[in-house]
Amino acid sequence: MKFRRRLGAVLIASFGFAMTVHAAEDALIKRGEYLAKAGDCIACHSAPQGKPFAGGLSLATPLGNIVSTNITPSKTNGIGNYTLEQFAAALRGGVRADGQLLYPAMPYTSYALVSDDDVKALYAYFMQGVAPVNVSPPQTALPFPFNVRVSMAAWNLLFLDSRPFTPDPSQSVEWNRGAYLVKGLAHCSTCHTPRNALMAEETSASLGGSVVGTWYAPNISSDPTSGIGPWSEADIVAYLRTGHVVGRAQAAGPMAEAVDNSFRHLDDRDLRAMAVYLQSTPAVHHAADRRPPYAWGGRKASVDEVRGEPLPEDANRMSGPQLYDAYCASCHQVHGEGAGQGIDGPGLPSLFHNTALGHTNTNNLVMVMLEGVHRQASAPDVLMPAFGRLLSDQQIATLGNYLLKEYGNPNASVTAEQVKILRAGGEASPLITIARASLIVAGLLLLAVLLLLMRRRKRS
Amino acid sequence: MSDHLSADIVVIGSGIVGSLAAHRLVSQGASVLILEAGPRVDRGHIVAKFRNSPRKNDFMSPYPPSAWAPHPVYQPVDNDYLVQAGPYPYKAEYIRMVGGTTWHWAAQAWRILPNDLRLKTLYGVGRDWPISYDDLEPFYYEAEVKMGVSGAPNTGSPRTRPFPMQPVAESFLEQRFRERLAPGGYEVVTNTTARNSRNYDGRPACCGNNNCMPICPIDAQYHGGLAADAAEQAGAKLIANAVVYRIEHDDRGRIAAVHYYDPDKVSHRVTGKTFILAANGIESPKLLLLSASHRYRKGLANSTDMVGRHLMDHPSNSLTFDAEEELWPGRGPMSPSSINALRDGAFRSEHAAFRIDISNSSQVLSVTQALIANGVYGAELEKRIRYHAARQCSLKNVLEILPDPDNRVVLSERKDAFGIPKPEVHYAMNDYVHRGMAAARDEYTRIAQLMGGTNLRYSPDGVYGNNQHITGTMSMGNDPKDSVVDAFGRTHDHENLYIASTGVMPTAATVNSTLTAVALALRSADHIHANA
Repeated sequence: MKFRRRLGAVLIASFGFAMTVHAAEDALIKRGEYLAKAGDCIACHSAPQGKPFAGGLSLATPLGNIVSTNITPSKTNGIGNYTLEQFAAALRGGVRADGQLLYPAMPYTSYALVSDDDVKALYAYFMQGVAPVNVSPPQTALPFPFNVRVSMAAWNLLFLDSRPFTPDPSQSVEWNRGAYLVKGLAHCSTCHTPRNALMAEETSASLGGSVVGTWYAPNISSDPTSGIGPWSEADIVAYLRTGHVVGRAQAAGPMAEAVDNSFRHLDDRDLRAMAVYLQSTPAVHHAADRRPPYAWGGRKASVDEVRGEPLPEDANRMSGPQLYDAYCASCHQVHGEGAGQGIDGPGLPSLFHNTALGHTNTNNLVMVMLEGVHRQASAPDVLMPAFGRLLSDQQIATLGNYLLKEYGNPNASVTAEQVKILRAGGEASPLITIARASLIVAGLLLLAVLLLLMRRRKRS
Repeated sequence: MSDHLSADIVVIGSGIVGSLAAHRLVSQGASVLILEAGPRVDRGHIVAKFRNSPRKNDFMSPYPPSAWAPHPVYQPVDNDYLVQAGPYPYKAEYIRMVGGTTWHWAAQAWRILPNDLRLKTLYGVGRDWPISYDDLEPFYYEAEVKMGVSGAPNTGSPRTRPFPMQPVAESFLEQRFRERLAPGGYEVVTNTTARNSRNYDGRPACCGNNNCMPICPIDAQYHGGLAADAAEQAGAKLIANAVVYRIEHDDRGRIAAVHYYDPDKVSHRVTGKTFILAANGIESPKLLLLSASHRYRKGLANSTDMVGRHLMDHPSNSLTFDAEEELWPGRGPMSPSSINALRDGAFRSEHAAFRIDISNSSQVLSVTQALIANGVYGAELEKRIRYHAARQCSLKNVLEILPDPDNRVVLSERKDAFGIPKPEVHYAMNDYVHRGMAAARDEYTRIAQLMGGTNLRYSPDGVYGNNQHITGTMSMGNDPKDSVVDAFGRTHDHENLYIASTGVMPTAATVNSTLTAVALALRSADHIHANA
């Protein structure tokens, strides 16, 4: 009897202990899930309509397409056999379990800042919270010399700072949390910081804006003209939460994906912390910028000028107002003022006081006309249709220039050639040629040195 | 010509019906060639032409016909393309361009009622369909998903699955009609339409431009241009400006080829395994009649002289009145809601059934024109435009006319620019229609009373509007003696010639015919695929 009771007590106690362990593990996995959202892992590691984290997304880089890998806990096709240490090495050091080096399309230079605790949570989530998928996407095949992954070792030596995040004691807890997220998991600089000739971030111009594929990731440093200096903390939080702030900007392209996959899911405290930090970053100023990008233009209409004018036979000769009348005015309205903005979402945005028309780099304007604005799972739903199949390169250039003069930054411009390049997927990088050329030069130098040495030997 | 144009499936006509059949077949792996008589058009140009047109209420003004593929236009002057033999005028409008006539429509995408298919059995009038509602139901749903249809659940047409989306939000006018008519026993229901209430298939939600006709400027409503584009994206080849003028058969009566003129009147020959004639309810019978041969002297598919007969549409009468309160029609879709109660009932043995359509079109233009015609000007004009534009409403019906073999399309003696005979229409109204119109008028009076209406203006007795729902001219049926195609849309006379059109509908029912024609065409496509 006594024994039984004791056994019962032991069983209950151990069951209770198991429950606690279980709850703690669940909490860890849940935190890992949140951090994975903060890191936006899913954006690159899932293909459209593909299974979450099963990889297969082809990322267009200046060097060629890099295909994301399966990071589900599949033991055959994913990272199911990774130990915590191997997981940490991949995440923060860019080293796979098999010792091969990752390409920095994986933002391990940012993730290097992730704390040990957060790595543990992420590991718990990826091992236990993600469904394994036993399928491998195609292998990445970059052209020579970038297919030699060992070359990344030299790159890492130059550009990977593997020190973890160290809080700045002179700043608030909130600021430090923001800095940890912005520089680490949220990896803002991956897109928003310009890169040098070797594709490494230029730390001197951190968050100063950069071209990412066909899109332009704007200057989000604290500069009052070139950056987001005048944005309030509430503006930044609202933008990250919803992807739009009336009178400022709306997210499109990769930023819309970042909002939908990542920022939308972060809690207010973290978004506020990121805003606080972003407001404090060193200002990166571009001399050409005379006004904040959202501060251009006003209510205006030139559509009346074309009323009653017959349309030209050749659609490529349609004027800006004619194109605006035909394709834009039904939603953005005759004076460019939009409609229903901010009632229960962005509504139909105004074209003036809109960052989309304020940058000197007009890639985003062209891309939005070509591809539209698409958001996922956001309520109320946002959609600007794509016009790429309706409008020619010349029509998009004419329309873009009209919009810039009428509602935006009149110093900016769009060319038909630019539209053509963006339509085709962006500029090819000179990097491949440079790398191959420098290998030839290096080879020739080596040959010259060898010849010299041989000659000397002969002499001696 | 040495084009060597050939495909498994040759579709004549790129409207919503032909293109969606083409899309289905090409998606299932067939090679598909679509021949469209008219030119390619794009939405932006149509919008720009509409905005530039001084004739905003002429829905054909942004669609001027091409020289090689004329279609009827009546403003500013009748181009005399659709020859009127009378006694009643049949001024149908349609568009011969890539995408066809649904470039301008109110996107009404109704299912018919199960009883609509059994008119003869139930009420002793008209004719029965060779298929049941249940045969059509899955294809209705397929069409609704493709076209992005929404509507009220209570329209009398059973459905096995919910609409793919919620209806567009009620306009204020629609809401007030619903509220004020309820005590009078009228249930006002949201129309079943192919109009987006949310992002759907890459197209945005309706933002209330209120010019669904002549053109939705943002593609919030589905149309044939999108269907043709979808077919091309899926791999179909579309040749625009290809005016088919003859269908050629072989010794066994199978269709061997079709011949078309390009705009320079150079002839081309296209061969195929199966042919789908989808050139609308007037141009399709015209083409069958044009293709008469030594063996088929009365034209193809016409061994029993049924091609072109049983022409139907939906005649309408109307009431315009001033409502007691400001309703501000013009916000939201042009045609948002209906009264459905009179679409079916024992009365159908006596008079025509009808749907009552409540208009939400902006009244500013018609009010202004009327005031100016009455000599009102200056500040008074401004004041009265505001007063009447806020209150003026209109009701009309969509009324079922019965199939009559004497209402028909034939070839005219007159020819178009290419020397092709123009279509000629014979059309008459009977007492079944007139009695239905009188019944509708009584309903309008009650509705106007419930709305506190004043200044009631009925359309003149015996003068009916037309709705461009061209039906019946190539009716389906089990008996070749009174029909042109079988229950799958295959012509009785030619085993590889199908017809996809509102023209195969044996009766017109009381709703816009597009969705039914698309569903029938998808069913035909399914049959073609299964028998390939």
